[in-house]
Amino acid sequence: MPDDHTLPAAIRTATAVTGGTYELPVYPFVEPAELRGERLRHPVVIVGAGLTGLTAACDCALRGIPAVVLDEDDTVGVRGAASRGICYAQKSLEIYKRLGIHDRMLAKGIQWSVGRTFAGSDEVYSFDLKKMQTHSVSEQPPFINLQQFYLEWFLVERIYELGLVELRWKNRLIEIAPNEDHVVLTVVTPSGPYTLEASWVIDCCGAHSVIRDKLGVHATGSKIPDRWCISDVRFEREPPAERWTWIEAPFNENRAVWQHLMADRVWRLDYQMPADADPEAISRPEVVADRLRRQFGPDVKYELVWVGPYAYRSLCLDTFRVGRVLFAGDAAHVMSPFGARGGNSGIQDADNLVWKLALVLEGKASERLLDSYAVERRQAALDNIRITNRTTRFLSPPTRVEKRFRDAVISLAREFAFARAFVNTGRLSSPSRYADSPIAAGEHAGVHVQNVALTLPNGARGDLVELLQWCDHAVLGFLYVDLDGYVARELEGLEERYPVRFLCVQSEEGRTCTFPTVIDDEGKLTAQLHAAPGAVALVRPDLYLAGTLDEPSAADIERALRKLLAIE
Amino acid sequence: MKTTLQTQPKIADPDGFYEKLLDAHRGLTDEQCAQLDARLILLLAHQVGDDRVLAECIEAAARPFAEAAR
Ligand SMILES: Cc1cc2nc3c(=O)[nH]c(=O)nc-3n(C[C@H](O)[C@H](O)[C@H](O)COP(=O)(O)OP(=O)(O)OC[C@H]3O[C@@H](n4cnc5c(N)ncnc54)[C@H](O)[C@@H]3O)c2cc1C
Repeated sequence: MPDDHTLPAAIRTATAVTGGTYELPVYPFVEPAELRGERLRHPVVIVGAGLTGLTAACDCALRGIPAVVLDEDDTVGVRGAASRGICYAQKSLEIYKRLGIHDRMLAKGIQWSVGRTFAGSDEVYSFDLKKMQTHSVSEQPPFINLQQFYLEWFLVERIYELGLVELRWKNRLIEIAPNEDHVVLTVVTPSGPYTLEASWVIDCCGAHSVIRDKLGVHATGSKIPDRWCISDVRFEREPPAERWTWIEAPFNENRAVWQHLMADRVWRLDYQMPADADPEAISRPEVVADRLRRQFGPDVKYELVWVGPYAYRSLCLDTFRVGRVLFAGDAAHVMSPFGARGGNSGIQDADNLVWKLALVLEGKASERLLDSYAVERRQAALDNIRITNRTTRFLSPPTRVEKRFRDAVISLAREFAFARAFVNTGRLSSPSRYADSPIAAGEHAGVHVQNVALTLPNGARGDLVELLQWCDHAVLGFLYVDLDGYVARELEGLEERYPVRFLCVQSEEGRTCTFPTVIDDEGKLTAQLHAAPGAVALVRPDLYLAGTLDEPSAADIERALRKLLAIE
Repeated sequence: MKTTLQTQPKIADPDGFYEKLLDAHRGLTDEQCAQLDARLILLLAHQVGDDRVLAECIEAAARPFAEAAR
């Protein structure tokens, strides 16, 4: 159970995870205002309280948007699929630092550093992340292993704590009717059906979205003949706390097996099955027991926490925006789980969308800013689908030739380090570059800026995310210019007219500046912004570079801001 | 795009190389030969180590079949 937290008693119904299976919290159904005859126009309605919807909801709460969240269920984790995502990558952790649940995730989650890859009866190679050179300058670890429902649980509690967003459990959307300036949603609840109105709708309904179907949004994708079966178990005698991956496991008829640790000392064992295996048959407890004995020996003692067979496909909507409806997470794109790209990309969808929606609602940006969400995140989805499809092809070679090349890779990888780069058991989710962004406002636009350590304007040691919080989640304008060349008043004027906060950047304490000053003593920020003396770099509230300008005039900066906000 | 492929004679002892290549396949079944070739391709590719040259090699090698597939 999440660590102690002060919450209203009514929602502190969460139960502990004890013994065998997971016991998830249950949230109460509260009769919505509409059922009492009220007619309200909500600025944002989020449909679906999975990872994507809850992340969007939490961001709405932080940005002062009183959003409404509809979920057909009354708990975290999808019922019947409690055990899904387990790995959350650095960019997600940076986002959750901003949303305020990062510390709980780190306290509950697991970090591993030693990974071993096997084929046949012996090891092909191993690595230790602690000893490897990293290009990361982020304050967050590269990833954390944590059961998905914990993450959702933390988000729900954070949303209740922030208090502005309404979570409506046991509210199932069944109909959607778009209009010129609003959308009407029909919802069924235990107290009967009702309709509600929204200025904007975010579809976070997951892979089987009804909204997508009702609006007839076209999608492109392919079925993939690969089937897996998860067994989450707790051992009496634990294996080493390392991540083990078999490309060909002799105890699984030479198919792949994953073995990694999550919170609560629960191990995720994931077995590749024959493509035509019967999902029901492979998840029977005695069949699971047989697999475990073959892997860990006849005397293995364990508790079975969860069993779940799954197959996957790839799918991407042709557009992520249809008028006032925005598609995010699995509702917009589906991919194989390899590389943990599903949930992590849904989280980034929410992070990309909500600041834009907030500025549109406040009248500080044009509605067309939302098209940039659709372009940027669709491109990221296509990147992710391409990358996960490559992993699928390695793990499940569709032809003899492809199998032969894989054999060659494995045999070379035993001997030569270079060939290990071809072993593709999943490429961990990393932020895409938004190469085709319509709101690129300068050089290097669309590159993710990692959460680097800094000295904040108040003199405290902190990081970029904390700076963003300190600046109320606005656009950050980093000044590398000699302010004498400017009328500081011109920049102050921009701060009044646009959602931007200017900051002077210095490499060491010293000169005073008209604007709050950050000290980038290690130069990590400046390097990421590609900022030379004379530059001004605009960083978006989702920590992507909007663009770096070389010796701009105040008018140039204003033009860049207008481009970024899609004004005109 | 201008090609970067080296197409002029370069290997000092072409007959010697060719013989070694054939000898390596001697006595192997067709399947083993195919496996050997796959290993060899990956090893050689790493020696080349240039994405653009590799892409051009793949394209040049596949050209006759690309026509056929159309
Ligand atoms: C085996 C497996 C392993 C995975 N591992 C990882 C991993 O390690 N890391 C990672 O990042 N991702 C992983 N994923 C992917 C990840 O689980 C999904 O991408 C993620 O759950 C998508 O979140 P979502 O919020 O978009 O959709 P969902 O989680 O599917 O949530 C949709 C929500 O909408 C609600 N809903 C649906 N229809 C309606 C309706 N009509 N009205 C109201 N509510 C509705 C549902 O109740 C649900 O709560 C994995 C997936 C699988 C299957």
